[in-house]
Amino acid sequence: MQKKAGPLFYIGLLLFVFVVMFPFLWILLAALKPPGELFGERAFQFIIQNPTLDNFVRVFTERPFARYLWNSTVVATLTTLYSITIASFAAYAIAWLSFRGKTIILGIVLAVSMFPQIATISPIFMFMQSMGLTNSYLGLIIPYTTFALPLAIWNLTIFFRKIPSDLGEAAKVDGASIWQTMTRVFFPLAMPGVFTTAILVFIAAWNEFLFALTLNTQEAMKTVPVGIVMFQGMFTIPWGEISAASIIVTVPLVVMVLIFQRRIISGLTSGAVKE
Amino acid sequence: MNRQNKGSLSEKQMGYLLILPALLIILIIAIWPVMRSFWISLHDIRLNDPTKTEVHSSYGLDMERYVSTFPNLLRYVKKEAEAAQGPAKDKLEAIRQEIEQMNQALQQSGEIASRYEAIDQLLLEFKPIPNELKYVTLTGEATDAIRTTLAQTESTLLEMGANKQLAKPEGAVGVMAGITSAIIEPNYVGFAYYQHFLTDSRMWAALYNTFFFTVVSVVIELVLGIAIALLINRPFRGRGLVRATVLIPWAIPTVISAMMWKFLYDGQNGIVAHLFEVTGLVSDMGVLLSTKAGAMFSVILADVWKTTPFMALLLFAGLQTIPHSLYEAASVDGANRMQQFFRITLPMLKSTILVALLFRTLDAFRVFDLIYALTGGGPANSTETISIYAYKTMFAQMSFGEGSALAVLVFLCVALISIGYIKILGADLLGEGNGK
Repeated sequence: MQKKAGPLFYIGLLLFVFVVMFPFLWILLAALKPPGELFGERAFQFIIQNPTLDNFVRVFTERPFARYLWNSTVVATLTTLYSITIASFAAYAIAWLSFRGKTIILGIVLAVSMFPQIATISPIFMFMQSMGLTNSYLGLIIPYTTFALPLAIWNLTIFFRKIPSDLGEAAKVDGASIWQTMTRVFFPLAMPGVFTTAILVFIAAWNEFLFALTLNTQEAMKTVPVGIVMFQGMFTIPWGEISAASIIVTVPLVVMVLIFQRRIISGLTSGAVKE
Repeated sequence: MNRQNKGSLSEKQMGYLLILPALLIILIIAIWPVMRSFWISLHDIRLNDPTKTEVHSSYGLDMERYVSTFPNLLRYVKKEAEAAQGPAKDKLEAIRQEIEQMNQALQQSGEIASRYEAIDQLLLEFKPIPNELKYVTLTGEATDAIRTTLAQTESTLLEMGANKQLAKPEGAVGVMAGITSAIIEPNYVGFAYYQHFLTDSRMWAALYNTFFFTVVSVVIELVLGIAIALLINRPFRGRGLVRATVLIPWAIPTVISAMMWKFLYDGQNGIVAHLFEVTGLVSDMGVLLSTKAGAMFSVILADVWKTTPFMALLLFAGLQTIPHSLYEAASVDGANRMQQFFRITLPMLKSTILVALLFRTLDAFRVFDLIYALTGGGPANSTETISIYAYKTMFAQMSFGEGSALAVLVFLCVALISIGYIKILGADLLGEGNGK
């Protein structure tokens, strides 16, 4: 099975990587093209005659894109911080303490993570509207819990289970209280898992669309995904600007993925695979 | 800290205490809304109709509306009475007495009278009216009485207006509409929406589209995912880089990848549409987004691009847990690569494949972002899924009860699919927890 890879293999691999990356690369080209090359005769050319950064400039000068970025950052960061904090306690208890009903609790968490968002939107929308929380950060952070908290609890529980529990036993023998065991022994060991989970939750919150689309409709409160989709006007779609905005949002994600790929992969897969 | 803290909690209590906040939040923010959705779906709620913005289980009066519109009506009738002469004046006087009586009858209840005062004061100060003040419950007869009075008033006013007996006939329509909208009727409709959807061809089409999209895209993703997982499972240079590339489609926000593809599919300037035309896959560049089959194909291709990486990574992780010795033993026994794949790899991957399928099937079934941004459900509803239909009913038609019924259908389908998978998977998914 594990044959050494030949040159044909590498060519196939290169082709595969190219196909996967192609939409992204093409959008990068589109972002750098002036309108004259984006449409018409030169629309399908790989070489740009007059590359320009105009699209990138226009996204910030003619549209409140900086504001969208800020909104997304605030909402995703706060969602991550608060759901990771609450989930850490829950996951610690599920993974390290013994009490009844853990399987049921995990079952509920998993079931909730499968809830379709659309099935919660009507009461949440009506509630936020009656509380005056539409077009606010809190109005997004609260509903984001529906996916962030189950995701965080599930991932953290799996990570925490891998930390040998004899460490906890040893601390107990030494007379440490449960609280001390948790804060002094456990959390330092758990940090990598917490960090990985935080990345996953952040990406999920950053990418969320339905709640952001329905709850924050004011220009100044839109998040990035909603903002970019709404770039299109009645009759025209400003592809250059959409491409530039997409690149601006995607590049940090790509960098993050490149740096943390090992962690992300382990975070994504640890629930599905028994080791 | 006190080392042997006698008062401290036992491990069990501590466990429940630590879990409590998470459970409470999940209960309030996720489970309650789903149940509430079902409740809403049993009511005729329309956010663009002021008398139907909420669940009303009984007859009643929207006091905020009533308090702000009743004085207008009274003032209008008084002014007209002053201006009118002869029999018209008498008629208007009669109307005035009647509506004042109606108001007095209403305010006989001390509670309503005091609320009237309180709301009047708040409105004067431009303050919002709290919900607990806003609605009063009335008996069916009391509501009927008010409605009859108002209906009579309205028809008399309109008749007088038509006979040119009013100074400002156009004012009558406005003040009457204002006060009539304060009357609230119970908007419970039972399972009427569900019954309606059973025979609604658009719902069945949306359900079919959803299933078609789910099955086709998940099957393609599974096959490609296994192929990619096998590919990156062998040792080669630059493995890390390939794995990172594979993650990129996963990390990009779905709507942004949908916008990217929309540009690639564009009928005039889309490179993918162009390539398809050049290679003869489609007759014309416009086919991709403007024909029914083309649009469904486009949506599936974009989804496959976006989510195959996730599938591949899960399967790749699964592959790494298969002991190498199994393959060595198989080679010694003379099994070829094909046999090894079907006899060792697939059976050993079974639970990973099922888990990956579960997650992907549910995600695909709930699809919203991708289709919303790429086709909007079009052309001619050919890519409209249940979630999109529910969204449009709720936020374009503002019919929340009806839309919620569709949302509940999505929920039920998702629940059935999960139960199906979990039956096959058994307790495996939650398994490890029993070890302790």
